[in-house]
Order: sequence, then structure tokens, then C-alpha cells
Amino acid sequence: MADEKVIEITELTKDFKDVKAVNSLSLNVYRGDVFGFLGPNGAGKSTTIRMMLSLINPNHGEIKIFGKSLKKERTSILKRVGAIVEKPDFYGYLSAYKNLEILGRISGTDVSNRRIMEVLELVGLEKRYGSKVKTFSHGMKQRLGLAQVLLHDPDLIILDEPTTGLDPQGMKEIRELIIHLSRDKKKTLFLSSHILYEVELVANRMTIINKGKAIVEGEVDALLNMNKLKVTFEVNDSEQARQILGGTDYIKDLETVANNIMIFSMSSDKVAGLNKYLIENKIEVSAVIPTRSLEEYFLNITEKAS
Amino acid sequence: MITLIRIELYKIFKKWRTYIGFMVIAVIVPVINFAMLAEGEKSLDFMTRNLQQSFVFVGNLLNGYLISYFILTSLAVHIPFLIALVAGDLLAGEATAGTYRLLITRPVARIKIVTSKFIAGLIYSNLLVLWLAVMSLGIGILIFGVGELIVIKSSGIIIFAKNDIIWRFIFAYGFAGLSMTVVTALAFFFSSLVENAIGPIVSTMAVIIVFLILSALPIDFFRNIEPYLFTTYMSSWRNLFEDPVDYQAFIKAIAVLSLHIIILFTITAWIFKRKDILT
Amino acid sequence: MKNILIFILFTSVSLAQSVKPEDILEKVKNNFSRVNDYEVRVNIKVDVNFLKVPETRAKIFYKKPDKIQLKSEGFALLPKEGLDFSPYSFLEGDYTAIFDKENVIGGNPCYLLKIIPLGDKGDLILSTLWIDKNKYVIRKIESTTKSNGTFTIDLKYDNDFKYPLPSSMVFTFNVQKMQMPKEITGDMTDETNEEKDKQNKSRTTTGKVYINYSDYKVNSGLPDSLFTHEKK
Repeated sequence: MADEKVIEITELTKDFKDVKAVNSLSLNVYRGDVFGFLGPNGAGKSTTIRMMLSLINPNHGEIKIFGKSLKKERTSILKRVGAIVEKPDFYGYLSAYKNLEILGRISGTDVSNRRIMEVLELVGLEKRYGSKVKTFSHGMKQRLGLAQVLLHDPDLIILDEPTTGLDPQGMKEIRELIIHLSRDKKKTLFLSSHILYEVELVANRMTIINKGKAIVEGEVDALLNMNKLKVTFEVNDSEQARQILGGTDYIKDLETVANNIMIFSMSSDKVAGLNKYLIENKIEVSAVIPTRSLEEYFLNITEKAS
Repeated sequence: MITLIRIELYKIFKKWRTYIGFMVIAVIVPVINFAMLAEGEKSLDFMTRNLQQSFVFVGNLLNGYLISYFILTSLAVHIPFLIALVAGDLLAGEATAGTYRLLITRPVARIKIVTSKFIAGLIYSNLLVLWLAVMSLGIGILIFGVGELIVIKSSGIIIFAKNDIIWRFIFAYGFAGLSMTVVTALAFFFSSLVENAIGPIVSTMAVIIVFLILSALPIDFFRNIEPYLFTTYMSSWRNLFEDPVDYQAFIKAIAVLSLHIIILFTITAWIFKRKDILT
Repeated sequence: MKNILIFILFTSVSLAQSVKPEDILEKVKNNFSRVNDYEVRVNIKVDVNFLKVPETRAKIFYKKPDKIQLKSEGFALLPKEGLDFSPYSFLEGDYTAIFDKENVIGGNPCYLLKIIPLGDKGDLILSTLWIDKNKYVIRKIESTTKSNGTFTIDLKYDNDFKYPLPSSMVFTFNVQKMQMPKEITGDMTDETNEEKDKQNKSRTTTGKVYINYSDYKVNSGLPDSLFTHEKK
């Protein structure tokens, strides 16, 4: 069951006039995954998601969801998918309740009063069920977006930048909801984001894309730990520290020394040991700053993109 | 499909702009009637002055039928605008509101979505025409009563007997409904191309007005293309107020307008099916 | 023009001085004066190519000497002469009457008289009257007017009816101009009618109106209140 592919994307390509928004992208999402789809702004994340939801037609490639071709069996696939694409927009002149009722009816779902109020309660909007959506704040619309995703109890949930515009409390709530859906409800989740840290907290597998192409794909833990950590030590006397480390294995890990900054490239389990060794040898350590190489890489491409 | 149509109608009638058309008619028709109360006799006298030279006549010629006929002739541009106001928003409005994303990710075929929207628009248009009919005939008959209908054309005068009128109006309003469905289809088509409702409304009116102007120009070239302009056929309801009725011309007009509707809708559906939703 | 006409007619019929047209007309008027009032049902059928009117029913009320009223539940259209066919209306104002000849129409021997109105005020230029020699009723009138061209009125009478009131009238007229202003019709795309229009204007328009009079109620004492509305 763990090997069942829920999403299988092969050589997906989309051109917009002169721009290749998505370039031969391939990825796999398995049942039960919380899949992180990462990339800087403009990397092609939204375009990919729109193609997965048949909002956009790909120029080339194939998308299979639940083992079925999206092109041929779109309707039966979408019955089992719940999604938010970018910011959730609703019919502002209708109430939250009415919006959900209409969307449910269009989808042919159970739109009993009980079910609608249930999902509204799940996202904390039960008290505002009768208010027109145009009176809602961004955060409330985001929560209503989640309500619409969950209304028909989908097997696959696709969230495009779900925490955009939310305050830290809101972000935390979303994260908890995602974990709940994955762990307790056994849903498969596909999350896109441009914030690595956020994805890292919830996802088990991920892909990073840039300029429409996949750069890395794999288990989150493996990706984050596989690469060595870059650890920055701020010391009082870097020359002395270098001398002390001379005879140890730690010196092989030393990459850069500048002023009193020493940068090592090492696995995370060695960091505590190095810190202890320096202190025991009378070197004052004022800061230990770990940076994963993946995060640095991600930050680099994010900066370049912006 | 019925569910989809119901939902689209619900959305249409939840927007305030939908009621503009009904309110405009509810105001214009009584205003015209009251103007007729004040000036109608004079106008009728003027219209029949030639006749009065040789003939004597009695009868209630200034009646609800005459006023309804007059209203039907004079609203050739106003009603299409009120139609375009709603029909132009059917697709473009979703783009503006950002709700395309919500709608098209439903497990429903796009062709069903576009068809249900078109049918809802069609229902609105025909309801508006029905409202016009009810208001025109209702208020006209209430204030002025019934009587014979005098229709003055450049070819002569026709007076229709009292019991020979209502069926003509029924078919005339039915035909007006068909005409307005063409306007709906046109606005709907423009709506599928853009992301803002203003464009389709303006474009639809521009097309209608330009076609009407071209038809009226006394230049041979435009005379030749006149049979191909749908606006030429939109006033074919007048054929029903001829004696004898030119059924051939009337049926031809129905066929031409129906063809326009089918072609416009087909193109719109094709565009919609293939459209990349970027909003 | 009129004076020449008078002269020609006068000289051509001066031989028939034994028949005095004034006497004939006087007899016609006297005959009609037996009618103080009447009420009659009319059935009107219009056959004019620029005018399509359904067959209509109405009632005419008359009271001597000049009160006349057309009433109908619905619409009714009558040539003016069909409404008021009393000899007084045809013989209004000053005129010269000339006896032309004797003639037979419809098996009825008639005197043929020419009536020429004097002065320029009226619309009538010339009228020809066929007056029944025996009954002293007008059987036919042919008139030429300034504004409306020529018209003919053929009257038939019921032999059993004691009053000089017709049972039917056929009103025939030639009208050349009958313009319908386009702005009235509201036709913006009326090009298809242009052809028809051209045809209409080129040939003379002939029309007939058939009127049947039935159920006369004569001298029943009609009140003046019946005649309150202005006739159009």
C-alpha cells in the first residue's frame, strides 16, 4: 500500500509564449505522503498544480492520479481530490455556508447542513457561517478554502502555498491540521511552498524545482541530513583554535576561517563533540550556527530568483 | 445539469446588476404609458391625418396594444444592453472574482459548466422579455384598454381586429426572446475571451450598433452584406403585424437567428474547453 | 376653368329646358324630408390596397337636418359620404344644377344631373347625380374633389322599404397620394418595403368600400343627447 502511486507526473512541460514555465518535470507521490513541492517564486509550482487540476493544458507529458490518466478520467479523479490554488477566492456576495453548499452541489457531494457545519467547525468558522465572504479577512478566506477542500472528504489534498498571508498562529494551526489529516485521517497531501522550513516540519518527501525543472527529489530526512551541515563557530581566537584542532579529525572538516569565524562542513552528530573540545581547550565559543547545505542551496536559488 | 443550471441562476439572481434590467423596464414602461396619456391622442391624430381626410372612424385606437407595439419597436438597443450587462459577466465575472479556479476544479466536465451557464443566461434573457411583455401589455391594457391595433408602415395602414392581435404579440415576444438569445450568445462569447465583464458588454453593444448603422446606410455595398447581419433579422417580428403574414420571411429569420446562436455557443464552448485558467 | 365648364354644359343641354333640375332636386329633398331620424346597423368591408381593415360593424344615428353619429363597440371606418348620405349633404351651399340626359342604371330609369358648386370655398369641383325618375332617390353619384380626386357612390334600395334610405352603398375612389411618413412607422430597417413603396407610388390607388345597411329604425324619436360627440 505504501508503494501505491497517488500522483505520477512524467516529463511534464508547459510553454507560455517564450517562457518554459515547466520543463520536463517528473515526480511521484505515494499514498500517505505529505509531499513538499518547493521552489522560489516563479519556479513553476502553481503552473504544475494547475496542470494537476486540469486548469491548464500541458504541452507535453502525462499526469496520472490514483493510477488514472488525468486527461481521460478527469471527473472521476477530481471527485477524490480537494485543492486550494493560490489564494482562495469565493463568491463574495454569498455567505460562507452558501459558498460551500454550492460547491458541494456542483461536485455532487453530500451537502447536508450537518456536514457543512462540521467542516466549518473544523476550520473554526462555524460562528461566521452566515456572513458574506466579502467581509472575511484573508486568514478567514484561507480557512474557508480549507473547509471547501475537506467538504467531500477527498483522498488527495493539494494545497498551494497554504500559509501565505497568515500570522504565526494561523500558520501553526494549518501545520497541525496537515499533520492531523495525514496521521489520523490517512490522507495524501501535496503541499507547495517557497518556505523550506515550513515544509520540513510536516513533509516526509519533497521535490525542489527551479525554472520549471526538478532539482532534487526524495525523503525529507535523507535530503536534509545526507548533505553535510555547514556549521559556523564564532570564537574568541580563531588562530589558537586552529592550532588546537590541528591534530584532530575536526581539522579536515574546517572549510573557512575569517576573523573569528570558523566554518566547518560536518555531519550533525559531530557538532556537540567539536563544541565540547573547543571549550575544554579554553577556546570561548560565543555562537554555533548550523546551516544545512540544502537550505543554503535553496536560499541561493531563492535569492537569485527574486 | 439541472443542478448546475439552478446554481447558475441562483448566482445570477443574487447579484444586484441582474435587477437593473427589470427595474429599467418597470420604470420605462409606465413612463411611456403616462406620456401616451398626455400626448397619445395628438400622436394618433397626426399618424392618421391622411386617413382622416377621406374617412370617419370611431374606436379605441389608442389602446394597450398600440402602446405595446410602440414599446416593442423603440427598445431595439436598450434591451440588448440590459441583456449584455448580465450575459457578459457570466464567464468573465468568474475570472474577475477568481472563482474560475474553484469552479473548474470541480469533478464536472467543462462542457457542462459552460452549457449550464449559457442556459442560465438564456433563461434570464427570456425572463426579461417576458417581463417586458407583461409590463407593456399589462399596464397598457390597464390604462388604455383593448381595441383594434393600427399599424402604419410605409406601404400603408393595417388595422387588426381586436381578436386577431394577441396571438401576434405572443409570437412577437417569443421571437424577441429568440433575438435576445442571440445577444446573450454574443455577449457570452465575448465573455469567454476576457477576464473583465466590461469588455464583453461594450463589445456586444458595439457590434449591434455598428451592424444597425451599416444596415441603414444607403450604399450598395452595405445592402449586399445586410442579409448576413443578424441585426437585420432581429426586427422580423414585424412580419407578424402584416396582412397577410409573411411566414416564409419569419421562419427564415428564426432559422438565421437560431444558426447564429448555435455557432456562437459552439465556438464559446470550444474556447472554454481548451482555455488555460491563469486567473 | 369652372366657368368654361358651366358655359359648355349650359349650351349643350339648353334644349332640354322642359326638365327642370331644380324641381327634380326639390322632389328628392322632399322625399327625404319624410325621414326625421333613423338608426341603422352598418356592415363595412374595405377593399383598398394601402388600407387593410377587418370587416366591421357599427351603428349610424341620424336626426334631421344635420345630426349624424357613428357608434361602434370596436373600431369602424367609413368614408365620410358613407356616413352621411342625405341629399342635403350632397347639395350643400350654392350650386348650379344642369340636366344632362336620361339614363338607365341597374334597370332603373334615371335623370342625370350635373351639380357645379359656386364659389371656390368648397372641396367639390363637380358632381354628377343619377336620380331615380320614379322614386326620386339618388342611385349614383360621381364627384370630383380638389383634395381627394374622384369618387363614385352606388346606392341600392330595398323595393319594399317605404323610406328613401339605401340598403347598400359601394364607395369607389381613386387616390394618388397616400404618404406614410417613415418616422411614424419606426422602421429602421425597412429597406425591404422600399420596392413595395415604389410600386404603390407609381400607380393610382383604387379603393372600394362596401357598406350594408340593415335594421333601420326610422322616426323613432331619437334624443339629441345621442349626438353629443363631434364627428371626426
